[in-house]
Amino acid sequence: MIELKNIEKYYANKGVKSYVLRHVTTNIKQGEFVSIMGPSGAGKSSLLNILGMLEEPTYGQYEFMGEDVVSLSERKRVELYRNHIGFVFQAYHLIDEMTVAENIEAPLLYKKVPGSERKSRVADILDRFNMVAKSDLFPNQLSGGQQQLVGIARALVAHPTIILADEPTGNLQSVQALQIMDLFKKLNEEDGITIVQVTHSEVNAVYGNRTLHLLDGVVNEERNKIG
Amino acid sequence: MFRLNLKIAWRNLWKNKGYTLINAGGLAIGLASCMLLLLYVSYEWTYDKQFSNYDKTYIVFNNSTTPNEVFTWKWTPRVLAREIREKIPGVAHVSRSSFPEEKLISYGRKNIKKNVVFADTEFLKILDYKIVKGNADKVLQDVNTIILTESTARSLFGNEDPINKMVKLENLEALKVEAIVKDVPLNSSIQFDYLLPWALLERRDVGIRNSDWGNNFCLTLVQLQDNELFGQVSVQMKGVFKRNEQGTNADAFLHPLSKWHLYSNFENGVSVGGKISQIRIFFILAFCVLLIACVNFMNLSTARSEKRAKEVGVRKAIGSSRSSLIGQFMLESILLSLIGMVVAFMLMEICLPYFNGLLNINLIVNYSDWKFWSVLIGLTLFTGLLAGSYPAFYLSSFEPVEVLKGLPVAGNSSLLVRKVLVVFQFVFAACLIICTAVIYQQLNYIKNKPIGYNKAGLIEIQIQGNLKDESRLVLLKDRLLKTGAVSSLTYFSMGLNETGNSTFGIGWQGKAPNYSVLFNYRSAGYDFIKTIGTSMVAGRAFSAQFNDSLSLVLNEAAVKAIGLKQPLGAVVRVWDKQLTVIGVIKDFVMESPYQKAAPMIMYHRMTEVSKVIVRLNQAQNVSTSVHAIDEVMKELNPEFPVDRKFVDEEFGQKFKDEQLLGTLSNWFGGFAVFISCLGLLGLALFMAEQRKKEISIRKVLGASTMNVLTLLNRDFIKLVAIANLIAFPLGYIIVNKWLSAYEFRVAISILPFAIAIGLSLLIAVLTVSLQSFKVARSNPIDALKYE
Repeated sequence: MIELKNIEKYYANKGVKSYVLRHVTTNIKQGEFVSIMGPSGAGKSSLLNILGMLEEPTYGQYEFMGEDVVSLSERKRVELYRNHIGFVFQAYHLIDEMTVAENIEAPLLYKKVPGSERKSRVADILDRFNMVAKSDLFPNQLSGGQQQLVGIARALVAHPTIILADEPTGNLQSVQALQIMDLFKKLNEEDGITIVQVTHSEVNAVYGNRTLHLLDGVVNEERNKIG
Repeated sequence: MFRLNLKIAWRNLWKNKGYTLINAGGLAIGLASCMLLLLYVSYEWTYDKQFSNYDKTYIVFNNSTTPNEVFTWKWTPRVLAREIREKIPGVAHVSRSSFPEEKLISYGRKNIKKNVVFADTEFLKILDYKIVKGNADKVLQDVNTIILTESTARSLFGNEDPINKMVKLENLEALKVEAIVKDVPLNSSIQFDYLLPWALLERRDVGIRNSDWGNNFCLTLVQLQDNELFGQVSVQMKGVFKRNEQGTNADAFLHPLSKWHLYSNFENGVSVGGKISQIRIFFILAFCVLLIACVNFMNLSTARSEKRAKEVGVRKAIGSSRSSLIGQFMLESILLSLIGMVVAFMLMEICLPYFNGLLNINLIVNYSDWKFWSVLIGLTLFTGLLAGSYPAFYLSSFEPVEVLKGLPVAGNSSLLVRKVLVVFQFVFAACLIICTAVIYQQLNYIKNKPIGYNKAGLIEIQIQGNLKDESRLVLLKDRLLKTGAVSSLTYFSMGLNETGNSTFGIGWQGKAPNYSVLFNYRSAGYDFIKTIGTSMVAGRAFSAQFNDSLSLVLNEAAVKAIGLKQPLGAVVRVWDKQLTVIGVIKDFVMESPYQKAAPMIMYHRMTEVSKVIVRLNQAQNVSTSVHAIDEVMKELNPEFPVDRKFVDEEFGQKFKDEQLLGTLSNWFGGFAVFISCLGLLGLALFMAEQRKKEISIRKVLGASTMNVLTLLNRDFIKLVAIANLIAFPLGYIIVNKWLSAYEFRVAISILPFAIAIGLSLLIAVLTVSLQSFKVARSNPIDALKYE
């Protein structure tokens, strides 16, 4: 589903290139649960952003579901992105001015899903996450774990094929973190959603069936579990 | 999507009430100012355009060419209308009408003085005033008939039906009420309270009846069959005087009715504008005030961009395209301008009565007019789009990866744009301060300039009714002097502030054959010098001790115009009489206080006087004196209401235009400065918040409150100072241009510029300090704790 070939990313500053990613080549298949690990500054988030089309690689080839992302036009890319990718952030990044329900509904609006269907999808997902009672609250009225649940719900509501999560549990207490990881696992196993997560913690990493270790921009692959 | 965006926009505005208040308040004041000025501009713009064929209607103007100057009048001879009707093809209607003047009209015991215009029958065909009652076909035909306006009819007849009733004109003529017309709109150049047939004027006045091509006193209106004929008719019109009177220096030309009010100045016989330039100024002012309010909005929105950056990032990360973000921000600004408009609307309705009083006009908001609503909606959308454009494009350009990482987004470019915007606002504000200061300086200068006589405590009384009898006048003088209210008294043929009555018909020995100068001519009574409080340069004025029927008094300008080295005893021909100069009077202002006094001759003919000029006894209280004078007037002339005016009040009327300009630029300049300050306050508010951490660190390192204040204010002061530097040359050019139109004008001093920079800096520092003081005084630990 995802093919990266020789991805490089560097920032040129006064003639000096500071590399973030070097010769990254990897494949991610449909239905995989991949963890990206590595110390601070290793380029984990950059790699995730490139996967999520929020950033462009300086060099290299990126194919998403058979399409060459680098050469796609802005419009096509947004289209591809809207239909297939869901993002989950460490700091949740919910829109403060919107209620829980509205936050979840937002991506559907951009996908131009008709009103009645939007309503039912939002209701479904609220129900599934046991958050119906909280649908009219604003993000600052929720705990961190609840906010991240909303963040995941927002990523899921558009029926993405892949979820990209940037340290989804980084701001959470361990109990909440555990719940979130269980949820990811369930989504991966039951709904067949491909998941790529960036994480610091070994505990979280083992939820995935493959780990990419990043060190100074270079990938070391490791497979923990098969199947 | 739209509904959600609207909801979000609303929540955003509600959450940041302070900014919303500043923004909406600024926009509301800007919009209200803009709408008020536009209302005024449209009022002036629609002058004389109420008539259905106004675009085909023209006024005949008269150019009199002398070797030194071309004089342009709208007054034409009585016989011109007939000539045009008979000889010039292409003209649909032509009419004569008289200069409006106040005359007494009465019904039963009710006497009122109202403005009358004498007019031909076709007058009402050219200007189709709406006839409410009576027969439209027969109006102004019979000599003894009258047409009243609705309000005149109401004040004379109350609820009675006035048609076919008899009213009396100056207690002499009995006239039958033929028709009632709607009141003349205020923005119409011809103002009357009742109309009388032209035939009546000719019957009452032998002079007018026999007047010929040399006498200009009536307004000739021409309506063309088609505007395409204008060129052809104009050619015919040009030579109309020369074809009928040998040796005349006059030419006729057509001036459109629609331009009469706004383009009333003529130079060398050609229209050079007039009030239109003032209207243009107001129009520009209106949009500049609005623009300033928009700039405020742009400034505050971009300044707050960091707060919105996260939202932009998230929206982009969940699939929003840039255009939908632009749409969202635009929607927000339109919503805000809508709120502004609603407030502006209320402000406008509240201010309108005051504004009307200030300008002495009657503006009303015409709610049933689609034009009003479309301007209103147009203005709201325009403001919203203009104010929202820059923030929308700026905010939507954020890169999601960067803003979500929490990198600072306020780039140097947006900071520069903000600074430029603030400078722009203050350039405008400083310019307005300079202009307003100069306008007031000029007004003061002209008002305090000696006018050549003492206008305080001087009253003019109209000679009317049985006072026209000379023996009654003598009696009046005796009685007035006896009351003790009056210290001296004289007669004059016109009001001291009135213009008109001028002639080329003055001759003297050695006058070059083609040299012609326009002289004002007046008839004056005894004690003229003492009463008005001026002095003679040489010789004496008219006095009871001499026989002055063949004496002449000149003013200094006249002596200069004639070129007399030895004025006293010189003989000057006035029309057909040879008069001897017995004195030279100091020049005094009768016409425009902005110009040098025109040459004037004065003779002594009691048949021509029309005003009694009275100097009040200074030892006595003014209201008692006035009361005593009124009593005497009522007793001697019971059939006419007392018609007296204070000379200095009449004199004040000459400053109306400048006063208006001064008042308006003062008010709207004040608004502009206020809105700019709101913007500055908002920026300071934001700046202080943004630099909280920096300030805390500085304080920890030992900076005093004063140090911090200086630090925070320095940037703003720099901006305002730059704005002033730009505004100075700009303001200089503008006021120089404005002043150049006046013959008497103040020298441009450094004062207005000093006021501009002083005032703008003071206001800026006060505004900014209001906020920065709070930050400077706050406890540094509070800000550093969470880092």
